[in-house]
Amino acid sequence: MTKTAFLCGAVFVLAACGPAPINPQRQIGAHPYLPEIHQYLLPPMHVVKNIGWGNSTPIAAQGLTVAAFAKNLRNPRSVYVLPNGDVLVVESDGPPAPVSRPKEFVMDWIEQQAHSSVKAGNRILLFRDTNGDGIPDMQTVFLDKLHSPFGVVLVGTDLYVANTDGVSHYPYREGQTRITAPGKLLTPLPAGPIDHHWTKSLTASPDGTKLYAGVGSNSNITENGIGAELDRAAIWEIDRVTGAHRLYATGLRNPNGLTFEPQTHALWTVVNERDELGPDLVPDYMTSVKDGGFYGWPYSYYGQHIDPRVKPQRPDLVAKAIPPDYALSSHVAPLGLVFYTADNLPASYRGGAFIGEHGSWDRSELNGYKVVFVPFSNGKPNGMAHDILTGFIHGDTAHGRPVALAIDKQGALLVADDVGGAVWRVSAATQ
Amino acid sequence: MPSNPRSTARIVGHPLHAMLVPIPIACFVGTLVTDIAYAETANMQWANMSAWMLTIGLIVALFAVIAGLIDFLGDRRIRDLRAVWIHAGGNAVALVLAIFNAFIHSRDAYTSVVPTGLTLSVLTVLILLVTGWIGWEMVYRHRVGVLAEDGE
Repeated sequence: MTKTAFLCGAVFVLAACGPAPINPQRQIGAHPYLPEIHQYLLPPMHVVKNIGWGNSTPIAAQGLTVAAFAKNLRNPRSVYVLPNGDVLVVESDGPPAPVSRPKEFVMDWIEQQAHSSVKAGNRILLFRDTNGDGIPDMQTVFLDKLHSPFGVVLVGTDLYVANTDGVSHYPYREGQTRITAPGKLLTPLPAGPIDHHWTKSLTASPDGTKLYAGVGSNSNITENGIGAELDRAAIWEIDRVTGAHRLYATGLRNPNGLTFEPQTHALWTVVNERDELGPDLVPDYMTSVKDGGFYGWPYSYYGQHIDPRVKPQRPDLVAKAIPPDYALSSHVAPLGLVFYTADNLPASYRGGAFIGEHGSWDRSELNGYKVVFVPFSNGKPNGMAHDILTGFIHGDTAHGRPVALAIDKQGALLVADDVGGAVWRVSAATQ
Repeated sequence: MPSNPRSTARIVGHPLHAMLVPIPIACFVGTLVTDIAYAETANMQWANMSAWMLTIGLIVALFAVIAGLIDFLGDRRIRDLRAVWIHAGGNAVALVLAIFNAFIHSRDAYTSVVPTGLTLSVLTVLILLVTGWIGWEMVYRHRVGVLAEDGE
């Protein structure tokens, strides 16, 4: 029996022995270093304890300053700025997940530690900053009783909200502070009973005729069966008039932050790549999205790197898998992407991309938990990512976790922080 | 007339160890069957069943081990049997393999079974064939835990 006990102990020791994490800098840019696959006996789960912000704030990069735009929110996951400057904040929670394996009992428990214990409102709040000082002077409940909402986009007077199970349409007129009209379902999206990646990012084409919705995969790597992945791990293109849809691009495991690059008008997204292949596989990324493009998931990653966990394989699809444009390093969990076209921030930020990195949970050394900036030139990434907003983690505790981003009417960067229950506003430091 | 080796962990004279062991045995044999079914079909349902059976088998095995150990420590005549050492040692190895197997089965999709999980399932069942055989021998031949005609 002591032998059994000893070997049990050995299991845990072995599990802790994966490869040592590399410096994430090696996995940022167009050509990330991709190590050998390491499949764990027990994947490292490094979950930080949430302690809230108290009176502290995140730390802004030099030349920038940060202040709370809103606090004491319940899981604010995304922000959207209306043309009159009103800021919509989406409070949202994922739907409950069914348990299909013993592993999920453990995983659910661990993930609960990593996420906010506060129950989200599943609603959209409106904040109005009348005098433009960065502090809202009015707050209303803009839309209530939604179903795990995430993406919001306004086209003219048509407001669209991407709930986890569908895109709904609401009439909106400028200055409105509350919508009471019932939403009209434009297009249903794949949701439960299994709804693994539930955040449905939403944007509209520059000409306003089409909507684009990000529909994440229904598993890490097909462990719920390939049948559960129908029309998922894809960006849907939705006709705004008829609601008809087609798959614009596929093989994108969990695409979020859909937005059009202002110079080339190409659609861009940030993507959460697969877990449990080691601390440095697979790097999350941002990429321009080609019409009809296939980006690998589940069969391969970064082009033709085969994932051995997927059977049967599809060599026909793998052969045409497009490597993404720009790696962000592994497990940073990018959920927000916004291009900077305003002029409040220093000129070096113009045209570049801000990325909200929710942060890792399956890597012994934490990665992400910050907002980074990637400079662009001629509509393409040009240079290293650097930190814009940090201080979300402190040792093994987290004050918050950044999610989606937006630019407000004054040109400041808004950062939704779900665990911290806040929206942060990053603006130019006064000289 | 000398009495039989006595089971210490028992309820109304019924040895607990003998009542518990069929569950892990059935679970681990079942895991092998569903692992083969998964390897043949890549249908996740089979791999999920393997994961559940491994977990249930391990949980019940824990209680079977405790009951077996109590019997082992409770009567010197049991410890004096050569067979019991092979039985206990072999089962300890099988359990360690099953624990590893449960971790392998917690991976996602194909490599949760093929090839490591399936291999461990085969080895576990092979060991159980031997240790189970010896276990039955301990009861049917050496009368471990069997009540004597005069009670005890």
